[in-house]
Amino acid sequence: MRPLHIIACVKVVPKPEEVKVNSETMTIERGDVRSEINPPDMNVLEMALTLKEQHGGKVTVVAMGPPLFAPYLRLALAMGADEAYLLSDRAFAAADTLATSYALAQGIRKIGDYDLILCGEESSDGATAQVPPGIAEWLNASQITYAEDLEVLPDSGMVKAKRELAGGYEVIQVPLPCTASVKVGANEPRFMDMERKAWAEAEGPVTIWAAEDIDVDPEMIGLPGSPTIVDGLAQAEATERKREFLAGTPQEQAKALVERLQAYL
Amino acid sequence: MVSQPVDSVVLEDETWERVDKATGGAAAPCFQCGVCTAICPLGLVKGETISIRKMVRQAQLGLPGWADGLWECTTCLWCESRCPHEVDITKAILGLRQLAWKEREVPEGLPTLLWDIYFDGNAWGRPPSERPLWTKGMTVKEFSPDDEILLYVGDDAAYDRRIQKVARALVSLFEAAGVTFGTLGEREPSCGDAVRSVGHGEYAAEIIDANSRLFQEAGVKTIVTVSPHSYDMFANRYPNLSGDFRPLHYSQYLLELIEGERLKFENELPLKVTYHDPCYLSRRNGICDEPRQVLQSIPGLELLEMERSREDTLCCGGGGGRMWMETAAGERFSDLRIAEAAETGAEVVVTCCPHCLSCLEDSLSVVGKSKLRVMDLAEVAHLALQSEAVASDATSGRS
Amino acid sequence: MTKSLYGAKEANAIWVYLEQDEGRLEGVSLELMGKARELANGRGIPVVGVLLGDQLSGLAQEAIAAGADEVRVADDPLLRQYTTDGYTKVFTELILEGKPDILLLGATPNGRDLAGRIAVRLRTGLTADCTDLKLEEETGLLIGEVTGFGGGILAYIKCPDNRPQMATVRPGVFAVPEPDTARQAKVVSVPVKLAEKDIKVQVVEHAVGQGVDITKAEVLVAAGRGCQGDFTLVNELASLLDGEVGWSRVPVDEGWVSRDCMIGQTGYVTRPKLAIVCGISGAFQFTVGVEKAETIVAINIDAEAPIFEQADYCIVDDMFNVLPPLIEAVKRARGGNGGR
Repeated sequence: MRPLHIIACVKVVPKPEEVKVNSETMTIERGDVRSEINPPDMNVLEMALTLKEQHGGKVTVVAMGPPLFAPYLRLALAMGADEAYLLSDRAFAAADTLATSYALAQGIRKIGDYDLILCGEESSDGATAQVPPGIAEWLNASQITYAEDLEVLPDSGMVKAKRELAGGYEVIQVPLPCTASVKVGANEPRFMDMERKAWAEAEGPVTIWAAEDIDVDPEMIGLPGSPTIVDGLAQAEATERKREFLAGTPQEQAKALVERLQAYL
Repeated sequence: MVSQPVDSVVLEDETWERVDKATGGAAAPCFQCGVCTAICPLGLVKGETISIRKMVRQAQLGLPGWADGLWECTTCLWCESRCPHEVDITKAILGLRQLAWKEREVPEGLPTLLWDIYFDGNAWGRPPSERPLWTKGMTVKEFSPDDEILLYVGDDAAYDRRIQKVARALVSLFEAAGVTFGTLGEREPSCGDAVRSVGHGEYAAEIIDANSRLFQEAGVKTIVTVSPHSYDMFANRYPNLSGDFRPLHYSQYLLELIEGERLKFENELPLKVTYHDPCYLSRRNGICDEPRQVLQSIPGLELLEMERSREDTLCCGGGGGRMWMETAAGERFSDLRIAEAAETGAEVVVTCCPHCLSCLEDSLSVVGKSKLRVMDLAEVAHLALQSEAVASDATSGRS
Repeated sequence: MTKSLYGAKEANAIWVYLEQDEGRLEGVSLELMGKARELANGRGIPVVGVLLGDQLSGLAQEAIAAGADEVRVADDPLLRQYTTDGYTKVFTELILEGKPDILLLGATPNGRDLAGRIAVRLRTGLTADCTDLKLEEETGLLIGEVTGFGGGILAYIKCPDNRPQMATVRPGVFAVPEPDTARQAKVVSVPVKLAEKDIKVQVVEHAVGQGVDITKAEVLVAAGRGCQGDFTLVNELASLLDGEVGWSRVPVDEGWVSRDCMIGQTGYVTRPKLAIVCGISGAFQFTVGVEKAETIVAINIDAEAPIFEQADYCIVDDMFNVLPPLIEAVKRARGGNGGR
């Protein structure tokens, strides 16, 4: 089995329950909000590290975002990844998925020599799920979305995966290099080793790349590179529910409920 | 991991050194008498004993592989209390667990537990912003250094709806006694017991380090805990933060309030109760009298003792990280404990540990001794304090 | 600016991707067709359905009955099964030829698999998982409403310059339109330029339609932690009401069931008329999967469970105490023993 070079794409996201809309400025308030690694990206890291254990090779973590992402990339190193690259530049900011997948693809191209690119199925903030197929297209690589498990077939240059579909599944096989999106909960992410964490914090290789460090067309990144724009924000309103509590013994409650549900019986 | 019978074993220096380091050499004094294995309460529920002796031997010799039972131990200390050579068996077992973490051979669900603590600051994986929600309807302020005590709520009392009632009862008791207190609100960290008990000593050390700094910066002196496990951490495993750092379990603090006449029980509460000593309070830390004295200061309360009481208490089964692992039905210590409690003729079994409370209530619903109720000490005290405490309130449902 | 391969001036019509699997049209495609029809009405915009597959022109009629003015069919044995390679190539060529102004796809796993790739190949904007679609009054630009941050925030997205303006929509967001079987429209067979070497994907196994599709259920009975792995009563109630059974993440994590009928943020978003939610606390990760139900009944032993905030009728009790009398009451209401 030849060693694999696996790229793990990771995003740091605000904890969903803490995000609020500032109704005056109509922007997302991120000030004091705590962050976490996007949950499916933890499954990505686990999958990447397991494949590395099986085949040998290395795991490179890639992310695009502000400097606050860096400590989280060190967590990925603490879990067992080998090095990390953070694309961080004002020029990358305010990117939609086209510009994001382009920038990430160019960063990955610069890292080079990859076999597998793993991404979480979607992020908890934007939740578009578009970046993985986007990266695959920019790199002209094959793609597997919603992978539950991944098997690299030794010496064949192929990867096989079970994909979850609505009401079922399928198993497909595609040639490397391949970009795969991983389902959240596909595995249990390993906890960090504290000794490795100390190394990751002190000397773990985290490289920060600005736009000029990688080969990108400035018109295709960030705001200029984004065909979609946000035309307004609102706080979502919940449907008003009746919230009628039915009292009495279970028999009485059942009777009261059935009376109210006549239309459905 | 099932250990295979071997004809001969090659002992390797490097492995031995790793094991010795991880266990702190705890296994050295063991001379393999086997008392630990004979008396381990797992033998009562499993029909066969777990070989503690073998685990300790493994630690002594630096043998690879993991014994059955490594993850079954609840760290209840029963074996240690009878060990003729005073071997620190817990330390040996936790050391072996730490090595298992390094090999990534741990039960499913435990890595998730640690990530939950890491990212969310609590063992439940619930949003940190929801930590103070247990105070709904009550006024509980942020701790300031002039306060008499810091109330350390803990993950269970903060997030578990059943245990939240204990914290709320305590707040009412403190208010009645005029105690000035506060909590760390959203900033309250996990105490590290969950991490330590599943064997990740290295991560626990980081938590202890960070929390010590937090407490020092916040000017914490007297810290009153809901859980005996938190108490155990602060009293025994945290460095002495200052001359004034005084960790207390709430049963001790309630007794101080009673003895200082700040808390008085004037009404009769005619209840027959038995008291289940949490093993982390009684056997581990010698705190047996204080909870009993609190109960006995309530007029009308009759305290009946189970045979296995005080330092001889039977563990509820929740320690040693077992709260985050599946224990098969029929193998639960707390089932036995409920049966014992029922035998005393008591109406209520009282305890003062969130794990004990959860385990005993779980067993009660399974074993079905319908006349018995499980209550926390704080709930009983709070009930006694209310002006029209009626015995039927206690027996008709949970408070 | 990243320019798309063609611009707004040349673009015309709303295209709807008609996703099919094993000869069955996905419900979401018809839902989108209905919505496209609604958007197009009054503006004189043609609505075109696009069908890729093997020997399925029969499905074109369903799309026409749902509101298509034209259906373009790309029929080829190599398109029999969905593959990213085959479908991206053929669909992109169709789009470059027809130059739609707007392209809508269902946000099914394969829909998203395809949409994400096409959008980059065409260098255009894609708005994912829209909860509503509108056309801007003055400009006719598509405005996609999306939720983010676990459903707490709504955002309105536009794609002013690049074409086609792409959007995906989850099943159940829009209603399936009443079919107008008398409706007539053009069915155009388009040439397919595809060779075996163009498809690098091997489909080893395809097992869809064996499970239940709870997104189509009109009545849903859902169970969570409270059922303790015992679905007997839940199954019985669902059966009596001609409904389906779903669950929250807890039964999956506990190993009682598989992910097949998991409701919620990482599972399915359902849109039943009636949802009866038993023993589920109601964290938002679950409720996003059921909040579109017309009526929600919640049964939970904890009076303070968040699910009660999202329910119309609330019963505070152990589900095992409530379900037996409820089952009896339903049987009586339906008349006779054992209902239907």
